[in-house]
Amino acid sequence: MLAETLVGDVLQRARAGGADYAELYVERWRRRALRVLSDEVKEATSGIEYGAGLRLFYGTEVVYAYTNDLNPQSLLEVTETLVKLKGNAGQVDDLGRGGLDFRKAVAQGLHAPQIPFTARDKRYRLERIHEAEAGAQVGPQVKQVQTNLLEWDQEVLIATSEGTWAEDHRVRTRLYVTAIAQDESGMQTGVVGPGLSMGLELFDRYPPAEVGRQAGLQALTNLRAKPAPAGTMPVVIGNGFGGVIFHEALGHLLETTSVAKKTSVLSDKLGEKVASDCVTYIDDGTTLHGWGSQEFDDEGMATERTVLIENGVLKSYMVDKLGGMLTGYRPTGSGRRQDYTFAPTSRMRNTFIAPGHTPKEKLFEGIEYGLYAADMGGGQVRPGSGEYNFGVKEGYIIRKGRVEEPVRGAMLVGKGPDSIMKIVAVSDDLQTGAGMCGSLSGSIPTEVGQPHLLISEIVVGGQA
Amino acid sequence: MTFEQARDYLLQKARAMGIDAEVLATHSRELTVQAHGGKVEEITQATQGGVGVRVVVEGKTGYAYTEERTPEALDWVLAEAHENALLQSEVGGFLPVGGELGRHDLLGEGLSAPLEHKRQAALDVESGLRADPRMRQVQMTRYSENETQAALGSTQGVSGAYRNGYGALMAYAVMGEGGSLKQSFELDISKEFHSLDPGRTAQEFIQKTGRLLGARPLKTGRYKAYFEPKAFGQLLAVMGMFMLSAKNVLEGKSLLSGRIGQQIASEIFTLVDDPTLKGGLASRPFDAEGTAAKRTVLIENGVLQTFAHNSETARKMGVENTGHASRSYKGVLGIAPTNLFVQPGEGVKMDNGIVVTDMMGLHAGANPISGEFSLQALGLKLEGGETAYPVENFTVAGNFLELLSQISALGTELEWHPMMGIVGSPMVEVAELSFAGA
Repeated sequence: MLAETLVGDVLQRARAGGADYAELYVERWRRRALRVLSDEVKEATSGIEYGAGLRLFYGTEVVYAYTNDLNPQSLLEVTETLVKLKGNAGQVDDLGRGGLDFRKAVAQGLHAPQIPFTARDKRYRLERIHEAEAGAQVGPQVKQVQTNLLEWDQEVLIATSEGTWAEDHRVRTRLYVTAIAQDESGMQTGVVGPGLSMGLELFDRYPPAEVGRQAGLQALTNLRAKPAPAGTMPVVIGNGFGGVIFHEALGHLLETTSVAKKTSVLSDKLGEKVASDCVTYIDDGTTLHGWGSQEFDDEGMATERTVLIENGVLKSYMVDKLGGMLTGYRPTGSGRRQDYTFAPTSRMRNTFIAPGHTPKEKLFEGIEYGLYAADMGGGQVRPGSGEYNFGVKEGYIIRKGRVEEPVRGAMLVGKGPDSIMKIVAVSDDLQTGAGMCGSLSGSIPTEVGQPHLLISEIVVGGQA
Repeated sequence: MTFEQARDYLLQKARAMGIDAEVLATHSRELTVQAHGGKVEEITQATQGGVGVRVVVEGKTGYAYTEERTPEALDWVLAEAHENALLQSEVGGFLPVGGELGRHDLLGEGLSAPLEHKRQAALDVESGLRADPRMRQVQMTRYSENETQAALGSTQGVSGAYRNGYGALMAYAVMGEGGSLKQSFELDISKEFHSLDPGRTAQEFIQKTGRLLGARPLKTGRYKAYFEPKAFGQLLAVMGMFMLSAKNVLEGKSLLSGRIGQQIASEIFTLVDDPTLKGGLASRPFDAEGTAAKRTVLIENGVLQTFAHNSETARKMGVENTGHASRSYKGVLGIAPTNLFVQPGEGVKMDNGIVVTDMMGLHAGANPISGEFSLQALGLKLEGGETAYPVENFTVAGNFLELLSQISALGTELEWHPMMGIVGSPMVEVAELSFAGA
C-alpha cells in the first residue's frame, strides 16, 4: 500500500530522533452495511477507511500519531511532529542509520474468502436477507424482523524498525438478525448473529433462513417468559455465545493491558491455581475462518494458539509487544486495534473453554432450583475488582433437575475469580459465537465459546 | 485534495449525474497525554477526516463515505451511494432545501495552552489520586482534547460550517480498603483548558469511589431509590432517548408510539433538549442536515410533547422538525440529543432506601425496546436519612416508563455528564424499585 522506501524513511527518521522502536501501521478498509427492517432496506452504506498509525517507543513510553493523509510529505511531517512531542527535535542519533532490511511476510490466505468483496451484486445480498426475514416468521406474534449484513475487506501493512514487514488481508462477514415479537404482555426480542472470517459463503455455513428461524423462536420464548427470579442459585450456562461470561470474567483479566499495571486481580499468578480443575481456557488466533482470526496481529507478529489456563492452572497471559516489555512475558501475537486511529494493546482473538467430559444432561441432575442461561447477551467487567455483569438473552428455570418455564430479564453478576472457582462441571459440546469487544484499543471482532457448564452458585438479578 | 475540495468535487459530479446530493466533510485534530507512574507514558497526536455523501435518486436515499480523497475513491463513493439508493424500496426521500448557514466558531482559543501545561495536568491528576492512602492502582490519568471542523453542503443550496471542541481530564483507578476493591473512572470536560482542575478531578474520584469501599451485599427486596445525577443520566441516555427518537417510533420500536399529549411520567418531570445553551458542550448552530438549532421541550410536567425529529421523520409524521438530525461522515441520518436535561425540582429529602451511584452493563442489561432493565449497580444504604453503609453485588431492575411515573422528588441542582450527547439531571427519587442481591 505504501512504497518500501517511504516506509523505511519514516521509520528511520523516528529512530534518528531517538525512538528505540518505531512501527507503522497502514490500512485500507472497505466496508458495506445493509440494514433491512420488515422487507424494507432501511440503510445501505459503503465506505473506505484509509489511514496510517505511527507508534514510537522511548523505553516503555509511547507516542502515537495517526492521519489519513498518506502522501510522502504529510507522513514525514507527522513523523517530525511526533519526534518533536518527545522534545528530541534537534537530536540526530546514529540509531537507524544504514537502511532497514525488511523481512517480508505476506498472508498465506488461510482465511481467504471464496466469494470476494467485489463479487455478486447487491440484489443477491438482499435476496439472502429476505430468506432470513422469512425464516424469522415463526408465529403471528413476530411483528418485525431486522437483519443486518456487514462485509469488511481490510488490507493492512505493518512495518517496524526491527525489520518486520507483514501484509495481511482480512475479510469478515456477519449476518445479524433481530426478531421482535409482541402480544398484549409486551414486546420481546430474539437475536442471532453469526460471523466468520470469510466472504458471502457465510450463507453456506449459516443458511439465512435458519438464522432467522432461531431469532424468531427466541423472541417467542421471551414473550411467554415470566420475569426472572432474583437471588443466589446454581446456573447452567449454554454453549456457544454463553462463553461471553468468561470473556468478561476471565479473559479481560488475562490481558497484559491490565496485568502489567497489576490492575488485574490475576496479576502475578502464573503457575497458580486460579480456576477449578475442569477449566481449560484457550485463546486461538489461528482458528480457520474464526471471526477473531487473522494471520498477523496488528503489530506484525504471526498469531498463535495460546493456552491460558490448563486444568485450572494459569499458564499464560495474552501479551502484546509493550506488555511483553513491561512484564517480561513472551508476546503471544495478541496486539490488536480497531483501526489506525488506535495504538494496539493486548486483546482476545477466539477465546473458549475447552470441552470437558460431563454429558450435558448430567449438568442439570441434582439441581433443586436454578437457572438455565441458554443464550447470553453482552456484558462488562472491571478488571481491578473482577466485578462483572452480563445479561441472559434466553433463560429457563431448572426445577428438580428439569428445564422448565422460560424467564426473561435475568442478569448474572459476580466477581470473576470467585465464579471460575465455582465451575463444577464442563460438558463436551463446544460451540462458538461472534461478538464485538470494546476496550482501550477500540472495538474489535472476537469470538467467544464454551460447552455447556455448571456454576454452583451465582447472583441472579431479576425482578424480586 | 483538501476536504473542501473533495466536497466541491462530489457536488459537481452529482449535479452532472443529475442526482441530489448532500456532502458532510469533517476534519478533526486530537491530542491525548496519558500519565502513569509519575511519567507521561503515552502521547497521541492525530488528524482525521472524511467525507460522507447522502444522495437521493428517484426518491430513494443512499449513503457512502471515504477517508481516501483521490478522484478514484470519490467516484467509487458516488457510484456506491447511487447503487445503495436504488436498493431501497421506500420512496419519498428528499434533501431539505436550505441556504447559507454561515461559518461559526464555538471553540475560540479555549484549548490554546502550551503542551507542557497539558502534560502537567495529566501528571497532576495522578499525583492527586496517589495522595490518598487507599489508592491501590492508578491505571491511568489522561488529558485529551478534540477540535472538529464540520462543513455541510448540498445541491439544494445548504452551505455552512462550524468549529467546535473540548478538553477533558480523566482518571481511571482502583481504591482499596482491607479486602474491598473498587475500580472507577472520573471524567471532567470543558471548552476551556484553564477551567479544568486536576486537583478537583482527583478529589471527585476519591470522594465518589472511596465512599463505596467496605461495601456489603444488599438483601433482595423493594426499596426506595435515589438516583444520583450520573446514574439517572445513564438510564435516560440509553432508554429515554431511544424511546423519544421519532426514527424508532416510525420503526415501531418505541413504547411511546401514539402517546403524544398523554401523561407518561410523574407530574414533576420535565425533559428539555437545548442545542442553543450558551457554553453547552453539545451546543451547535445547526444540525446534520442544516436545520437551525432551537430549544425543544420533550416532556412537560409528565406529558409527552413531541418526539425528537429530523426532516425525514418530521415529514413522515406531518409535524414540525425539531432539528435533531445527527450524522457522522461514516454514518447515516439519525436522531440524537444535544444538551438533554431534566428540569431540577424542589429538593429530595433523604430518608430510607438505596442511593444508586453508578450502574454497569447498560448495553446488555437495559432493553430500550421493552423498557425493561436489570442492571448491576453500586450504591449506599440509607437508614433514617444517614448513609448506613455502601452496598455492592446487586442489581436494580424495573421498567423505565414505570420508573418515570414513580418519580416522587427531584433535587435542586443540575449536574451534567457526557453520555451520548451531554445529559443533565438532578438527584432523582423513585418511590419503589426492585433490588436483587444476596
